[in-house]
Amino acid sequence: MAVFDAGWMERWQSLVNQDSVTKIIGKHLTATILFAFGDTAYVVSYVGGQITRIESEIGPESSYAFALRGPAETWAKFIQPVPPPMYNDIWAMAHPLHGRLQIEGEVKVMWQNLRAFTWTLDLMRNANG
Amino acid sequence: MPHIEPITGRYIHVPYEGEEYRVFYEEAGQGTPLVCLHTAGTDSREWRHQLCDSDINSSFRVIALDLPRHGKSIPPKGWWKEEYTLTAKFYSEFVMAFCTELELEKPVVMGSSMGGNICLHLALNFEKDVQALIAIEACDYSPGWWLDWLSNPHVHGGEVCATSVYGLMAPQSPEEYRRETWWYYSQSGPGIFKGDLYFYSIDHDFRNLLDKISGQVPIYFMTGVYDFACTPEMTQQTAQKVKGSECIIMEKIGHFPMCENPVTFKRYLMPVLAKIRETR
Repeated sequence: MAVFDAGWMERWQSLVNQDSVTKIIGKHLTATILFAFGDTAYVVSYVGGQITRIESEIGPESSYAFALRGPAETWAKFIQPVPPPMYNDIWAMAHPLHGRLQIEGEVKVMWQNLRAFTWTLDLMRNANG
Repeated sequence: MPHIEPITGRYIHVPYEGEEYRVFYEEAGQGTPLVCLHTAGTDSREWRHQLCDSDINSSFRVIALDLPRHGKSIPPKGWWKEEYTLTAKFYSEFVMAFCTELELEKPVVMGSSMGGNICLHLALNFEKDVQALIAIEACDYSPGWWLDWLSNPHVHGGEVCATSVYGLMAPQSPEEYRRETWWYYSQSGPGIFKGDLYFYSIDHDFRNLLDKISGQVPIYFMTGVYDFACTPEMTQQTAQKVKGSECIIMEKIGHFPMCENPVTFKRYLMPVLAKIRETR
């Protein structure tokens, strides 16, 4: 099983949707977000903290509030059980000093929901099978 | 037997530039004064482990203050009419005014993050007034943190300030203590974390001043490998240019050593405190 393929995304989706903490802190997390793991991209829809849809067909018509774009190697380090320094957090990777991750778009919803959003991203570490 | 910690909390009125600031501080122990400075947007609670540690407070009078506007230290009159931006001048002079008012003779000053960065200013401008400096997670220039999102009515300030720093801590640090640090960060007044970061990322720029530090005061730089705001490389490059300094890189720890992992931090801190005691 490869990371960042459709099966991996479904496992992550399942982890998020079954997670008891996300149900508490993620009630207001409603946003559509593009994740680019190198050349592999998905548009992920959150509604009330639940991931309701994952689209792998990305085209000019795809719409999303904001995007997280990084090389697959960067994301691979982020999802390690114990991620190495500078790769353990999206803000660590995106900070101007490092620039390993690009966060682009209407990011207000991300800052509004940063606690729940980053919590769900940390669950990626449990999706590796 | 009740479990009562050795910490005593008190208030002192500190005069500074025509104002009288009511400042809260905690202390424990006896010996050389060891003044501990909290990080941006938080308060003296970050130092609770070191205050209570008998290996430390048996030789040092450990003192941790809340800067004005932080913790239990109230803001100065008129705060509601101005945007808060911490400056190096106020920060360094106020810390020394606090030490003077408390009648501390040549204290050791230990601070983390902005409390580490201010140690460079103390070394340059107050070298006769301090015995040694422990600059944790410090460097000459730490850009990128003066962010509007940290003080925006559309965003929950407590949650966003706390979560923005959570990744500065190492995954090896106990989750209980990382969440406790998050908790501290969720509790600062509106705009205080961002206002502190004005000093951290804007007003603190020591890139052309490092060689002006005389080296009369020993400076111990200590930085954790998971600190992405002040990386080990940034601290090492700073320390190389500061006379009389020593650079210690701490494994498996991040930006908040004293509160995210007090056990790991202690392994690195005790040799530093021993050196300070020897050279007294």
